[in-house]
Amino acid sequence: MGLRSYIVARILLMIPMIFLLLSIVFLIIRVMPGDPVSLHFERRASEEAMAELRHELGMDKPLYVQYFEYLAGLLRGDMGKSMAPGRHSISQEIFSAFPATLELALFSMVIAVGIGILLGVGASRSYNSIQDYVVRVFGTVIYAIPVFFLGMILLLIFSVNLHWFPAGGRTKPLMEPGGLTVYLSKPAGGFLLHFLQSFPVGLAFLVVCFIALKRKHVKFWPRGLMFSLLAFFAGWGVYAMVAWHFMSAGVLHISTGLYTIDSVFEGNIVKLVEAARYLFLPSLTLGLMLSGVFIRLTRSNMLETLRLDFVTAARARGLKEGAVVYGYALRNAFLPILTMMGLQFAMLLGGAILTETTFSWPGLGRYLVDRINFRDYTAIQGAVVLFGILVAIVNLVVDILYAYLDPRIRF
Amino acid sequence: MDVEFEGVKMRKFKDSRRGVSAIVVVAAIILIVIVVVAALYALQIGPFGVVKTELIMGTTDSVESAVDPAQAYDFFGWEIIQNTGAALVDIEPGSSAGPEDYTGALATDWTPSIDLKTWTFTLREGVLFEDGTEFNASHVKYSFDRNIGIASPDGPQYNMEYDAIIDNVEVVSKYVVKFNLKIPFAPFLGLMACQASSIVNPEYAGGWKTDWNMDDIVWYENGTDARTRNPMDLGPYILTKWERVAGKDNEMRLEANPNYWNKDAGLPKTDVVVIKFYADATALRLAIEAGDIDVAFRHITATDIADLQDDPDVKVWQGVGAAIQYMIFQEDDLPGLPSLNNAAVRRALTACLDRPEVCETVFLNQSSPLYSMIPTGMMGRPAGVPGPFKALGDANYTYARSLLADLGYNETNKLEIELWYESSGHYPSSPEQAALYKSQFEASGVISVTLKSADWPSYRINRNEGVMHVFLYGWYPDYIDPDNYAFLYWAPWLGHHYTKYNATNNYNATKATYDDARGSTVESTRISLYDELEGYMVDDCPVVPIWQGAAWAVTKPNIKGVYLDITQTWRIWLLYEEE
Repeated sequence: MGLRSYIVARILLMIPMIFLLLSIVFLIIRVMPGDPVSLHFERRASEEAMAELRHELGMDKPLYVQYFEYLAGLLRGDMGKSMAPGRHSISQEIFSAFPATLELALFSMVIAVGIGILLGVGASRSYNSIQDYVVRVFGTVIYAIPVFFLGMILLLIFSVNLHWFPAGGRTKPLMEPGGLTVYLSKPAGGFLLHFLQSFPVGLAFLVVCFIALKRKHVKFWPRGLMFSLLAFFAGWGVYAMVAWHFMSAGVLHISTGLYTIDSVFEGNIVKLVEAARYLFLPSLTLGLMLSGVFIRLTRSNMLETLRLDFVTAARARGLKEGAVVYGYALRNAFLPILTMMGLQFAMLLGGAILTETTFSWPGLGRYLVDRINFRDYTAIQGAVVLFGILVAIVNLVVDILYAYLDPRIRF
Repeated sequence: MDVEFEGVKMRKFKDSRRGVSAIVVVAAIILIVIVVVAALYALQIGPFGVVKTELIMGTTDSVESAVDPAQAYDFFGWEIIQNTGAALVDIEPGSSAGPEDYTGALATDWTPSIDLKTWTFTLREGVLFEDGTEFNASHVKYSFDRNIGIASPDGPQYNMEYDAIIDNVEVVSKYVVKFNLKIPFAPFLGLMACQASSIVNPEYAGGWKTDWNMDDIVWYENGTDARTRNPMDLGPYILTKWERVAGKDNEMRLEANPNYWNKDAGLPKTDVVVIKFYADATALRLAIEAGDIDVAFRHITATDIADLQDDPDVKVWQGVGAAIQYMIFQEDDLPGLPSLNNAAVRRALTACLDRPEVCETVFLNQSSPLYSMIPTGMMGRPAGVPGPFKALGDANYTYARSLLADLGYNETNKLEIELWYESSGHYPSSPEQAALYKSQFEASGVISVTLKSADWPSYRINRNEGVMHVFLYGWYPDYIDPDNYAFLYWAPWLGHHYTKYNATNNYNATKATYDDARGSTVESTRISLYDELEGYMVDDCPVVPIWQGAAWAVTKPNIKGVYLDITQTWRIWLLYEEE
């Protein structure tokens, strides 16, 4: 099976998996004892008020209707309404917190993997030395320390005593980056002139198409020519229309919600440093904690790999030690690390509840805890489904990387 | 170390320096980052010296869902309404909210009728909404018609029964408005001063119309202009930024209202106030210690307050709190448990309570024992004078045993009760409190207690269904008047069925006294009526006061203008930083 077929097969497998997850979550929420609606009034509510809330949430409809409406809503990206007053869109609430969680997860993972691999490789290369012992103890201790405790210690040192980093939040007031904003104006000559001016874009598409066709050894006549013309006209036309659309709007705004990235988009170094200051301690806390896993995993896998014949052979051929360790041995020892990266990253995307609470980081973890405390069943259902989908996607990416790194897996 | 490869011994190359260098590189990178950032910070250059906001306040609170007076019924929602809106009257900062403590806000003068069923207000002239529209009597009628008309089941009008008090609002002239009430209501000024009576700007509240429903509530909406999410703009501040993440407040920005009616008095004292929201009390404490914020208000734990009082870099402010905690006895029979509809049993249990011990051990003396449902600091309840429940004593086991002995309870046949507490942090230190109450009851030797708990949503359901035998509950007032506390003895939504078993006894006398107090504006008369009412309740003990919380704020030492009084109003417009 080629890599492409493997990816397609994995994506197709993911669909029934997610469908099953949605169905189970939907059913569990519905069969739980008690009337969730009655939980949401400060005082004893009238039957009319409860019936109104049931109706508003669609809970007065037959179960199968609710189910299909729920699935249809999910296809539109609509996870339903929260049971909290205001009945806000769950999708909006979740996605307002997701960038913060994603940013924390990304930077924590970089720190965890960076420290884990470097220390793990170092320890494996100096097996049974003082350095190895120190790294092993560090890996065990750092993973065993409760994350809120580690966070608290870092806060006390770097925030309260040294005043180097802030104690919580995502950035300083008024320092939220806006992302990339480009103000566009329409050319004076109208769409026709704009269309003609877009001609070079069509040419660029043509060049890219030629290169791709050449690499694939496609004959110029007749398929090559057909593809080239298609790329040329489609690229030209689509670009002209999309660009015109944004020009009509007058502004093109790109914002990821990740403050560090958006600061770069905005080109504002001040905001970037501010965002990094706020991100540093929570990322370091989570990263240090998770590095314990990667240190131990890297060390044990590298120990096995460094004993293998091909490493000895590589050394015997006079390759530099760095190239042998990082270019040959680590690449072979990397598959279990990659699996662990995927698992941990998926877990982090679900919200690092304790870290987010310690650093008042406005992410998904706090949302889920808050909604659980409120018994907001519809919001919990939305959050669980999102986590499930995220785990499935991360697993898919890991599997694809796996297949890319180790072709045997595709067969 | 040698290794063998295809029968040939080879020297395994071991270069430990490389492992060491990797660690050194990582450590060096981390160190460089830390040193650079620290240097920038220390020198206050670049990113750290650019933006200066006027005042930053931190809190663990959050608006529940809206800052619309027709919907908001939560502490912080009301705080924002208080600071961005204005009502007809206000309460003098630092006062006990007695009749003489009301001052004019949007009204300059008021006159009740002799029967207290009509209240006429003369409005301040020349007051402008933010958009320049002149405020007049029609805006007052609009605001109350709207609030009562929307009648949200989660909102203050439903919970405070505005429609049971106010019959209609009448525009007499451009600057005179008359409230016609259904009942004589002495605490009407208190009701008018509360945040749910703030005047809204029709421009932001759904426009001029007469038919109202839930769709007219102004909710928070993600990604929209904060100004449009707040229907008020007659107060000292305008809400210019309101960012919520995942249903919780993340940051707010209040900017001075250029049209504030009292701006000539130099208010608000600080032009811009940014409110940052923290996940919990520990995070808030660390933020004030780290210097990230200028003011920390709600919630800081008792132990943190005790620590911070010794910290020279911050100032701890203590004030009177209006929040109270009380114990409720379920009078309906519950399976397997003795009935508590006998007042002697309830009195015996009350006599076992040792309030000073709770305040001392659980709250480190940052709350005070409460012997009246009307808290100390309010009209008729001056500090130093214990309330009527003091008559039953604290840890008065002799009295409790004698009462229970008459009912056949003794060391071998103990009174068995279930004591419930809320377990998800809705009230402070509930598990610790409950454990102490259990030990106090059991110290009598004739009572056996089983502790039970439930999280807040389940607790409320249990309360409604009347399944909790003895349980803890709390209250902070809607409007600042004894009227808003005294009714708790028989409040039907507490589900304790007091009125079911006592409808012909003390309850009738109590209710009549309560209504009389509502119908009198003479302070001394009202005080004696509340004393009389609580006298009946000491006999019946349907609900028993335990403690009264204090109000706390922590600021940087140079922050002034903090008022923590019985009104529980957090007056951001009075805060300022002294140079």
